[in-house]
Amino acid sequence: MLDIINYLAKQGLATNKDLFADLNEACSGLPKINYDQSCSDLSCNKCVELCPTQAISLTYDQDNKISPDLNLAKCIGCSQCIDNCPDKVFVKNLNTKTAVTQIEDLVLSKAKSIAKANIQPIVNKNFRPLFKKSLSIRVVSTGCNACDLEINATLNPMFDLERFGINIVASPRMADALLVTGPCGLAMHEAIKNTYAAMPNPKLVIACGTCACSGGLHYNGYFKTNGLCPLLDVDVFIPGCPPHPWSIIYGLMLAMGHEIIAAK
Amino acid sequence: MLNPPIIVNINSLQENLKAKLKDSKLGLISSISGQELFTLILNNNEGNASLLISNIENNNTYSALTPAIPQAHWFERYLHEMFGIFPQNHPRLKSVIFNDLGIIDYPPLRSIDQNYQHNFQRDTSFLNIEGNDLYIVPVGPVHAGVIEPGHFRISCVGENIINLEIRLGFVHRGIEKRLTQIPLTSLRFYAESVSSDSSSANALANTLALEQMLELNVSERSKYLRTLAMEIERLSMHICDLGGMATDLGFNTIAMELARLRGQVFAMGDYLTGSRYLRNFIGIGGVRKDDDLYLSKIKSLIINLKPKLTKVINFFINNQNVYQRLHNVGKLSKSLACDFNMVGVAARACNIAYDTRLIYDQGIYPATILKLADESAGDALARTKVRIKEIITSIALIENVLDNIPQGTTQLANVKCLPANCIGLGIVEAFRGELIHLIFSDENGQIKRYAIKDPSFNNWTGLAISARNNLLADFPIINKSFALSYSGHDL
Repeated sequence: MLDIINYLAKQGLATNKDLFADLNEACSGLPKINYDQSCSDLSCNKCVELCPTQAISLTYDQDNKISPDLNLAKCIGCSQCIDNCPDKVFVKNLNTKTAVTQIEDLVLSKAKSIAKANIQPIVNKNFRPLFKKSLSIRVVSTGCNACDLEINATLNPMFDLERFGINIVASPRMADALLVTGPCGLAMHEAIKNTYAAMPNPKLVIACGTCACSGGLHYNGYFKTNGLCPLLDVDVFIPGCPPHPWSIIYGLMLAMGHEIIAAK
Repeated sequence: MLNPPIIVNINSLQENLKAKLKDSKLGLISSISGQELFTLILNNNEGNASLLISNIENNNTYSALTPAIPQAHWFERYLHEMFGIFPQNHPRLKSVIFNDLGIIDYPPLRSIDQNYQHNFQRDTSFLNIEGNDLYIVPVGPVHAGVIEPGHFRISCVGENIINLEIRLGFVHRGIEKRLTQIPLTSLRFYAESVSSDSSSANALANTLALEQMLELNVSERSKYLRTLAMEIERLSMHICDLGGMATDLGFNTIAMELARLRGQVFAMGDYLTGSRYLRNFIGIGGVRKDDDLYLSKIKSLIINLKPKLTKVINFFINNQNVYQRLHNVGKLSKSLACDFNMVGVAARACNIAYDTRLIYDQGIYPATILKLADESAGDALARTKVRIKEIITSIALIENVLDNIPQGTTQLANVKCLPANCIGLGIVEAFRGELIHLIFSDENGQIKRYAIKDPSFNNWTGLAISARNNLLADFPIINKSFALSYSGHDL
């Protein structure tokens, strides 16, 4: 026992003080569109062909120029568009503040970027006074385990989710928010609805990961794996496959109604 | 690695298989389109695999293999519900994927044919257990912790577990079907999504199978980098499972310290592949990323990690309370483990000397470093000890790869289509055990069947049996000591 204490005392502080730090240079992250660049070859269709989840579509603007639209709700961050784009229209996005409250905000396009030069995430103001200081989450997993492991990682000493007043509870009766991961196959529909029904009002629903946002890779399968949206009204969407622990914490803070961090 | 397929008459398959399984291991039984049965046999002594193909003639029925070959039991159940083939006289043809909560009334993997009669019923019933003072504890599919969904029905008398029945299939996504419909460039992403905690193992198995079909050779450097990814994944997940075990035992100090050290292993994954879960790295022809600068960073991380990790693991395993809680809990005998065709950590803890890294070519594994990590007790303590031995081996393997990596190039090959009518086999030792990907292409070079056998597919029965006659309170520990995948099983 004394050995353990002796060892721990020498380890120093593990917790990250730098909140929502960017990912390190080696990471792939999610893609974003570099609006300064435009497609030079009108017949180039590489990104659309390579994208495994049909997250990219091409649109023509008034000058007959092509610009891609990117739907982050479908994107699994495979980086194929970044690696193969001849004009470098797609670039890495190492930012971890990726969560949004409206699913439309996950679609990136040139037209939109002009319309809203500075997109501010819309904060859910309804429950703010209630959840601003603490949030209890019930997690229902329906996917490939990566998002679950990342949620577990948010509880480790580096990220330490509980210092933000967020904790993961064992029963829906104690929960303020339902966090769902995975594409929600047919066998889990009833379980998700029952969990939601068992939670006291008011309650929030958070979709964590690309699969929960849209079905991701499994979209339109025979087992109705189309994500959480067909089942419940979702308040916060956290894209990424899997999302980084910081992205998950950011999404949860957004659900709590923390505008300062959201606007930064 | 894979011998040319042999055609065997369905009526003599059982005897044929029984004779062959005396000195080899059953890999996989499945079907391509519902008209035939294929059986993959791994000849572990010779280091190759053989494939038996039998046509099913008699109106989608054949005489079940399970009564004579217990290893076939789970495979035949899967076969029935995915292809609508009836193994006659199967002891219990219960559904393994589709349950009451999500049922579809046709066999999804069967190719559409006019002659097939839609008359099959899925059996989703639970085993009926009756007796005085017996009570049933149903758990799941939504669990109290952050884990995947599965339903456990535990029948107890007092504190003792009489029977444990496991119902899976809640994470079914139809991956095997989807893998036959998508372009070749997307294949590895679906393979990785089978079970994300072993995503690099799935990617490697997929790549090995495709490279075998394409008769493609990869550079030495690619092999080293792939081995590095595999061992980082093994190290990361074994630390995670050990930490989970510490949490379940209430030893939070160790759990948190392991979670912290695991962060360093994740950082290695970040440097190597750009993803904490080593996704999007291994592909046909080589690997996607290669940077010497990052390799040196991985090296400094592993040098820093090694002494700390060994120290923390020693604190854990030398603790008297840990020993008391794990010793003789969830015991499984070697003969039962053989009957259930168990693989990986759980098999090695029962003294079954089987590690596919020593038999099938899947990377750089020098015999001087990779030693078989086996234990003989077959209990939760033995499984934990096997895990610890593998952590030590993985660190040594990572150091070896980083010291000896040759110069050279590596890049992904641009492959448009596969050769017609050929078969590819990928066998990889994922951190849970033997993982098999088997791919069949049709006359146009399209994939007509992509079969995946995750190690958890073999081991779930072992968990159900080993929980018997243990205390109900010990069940979480037994479950954690197996650490099986739900998504890998459900596909």
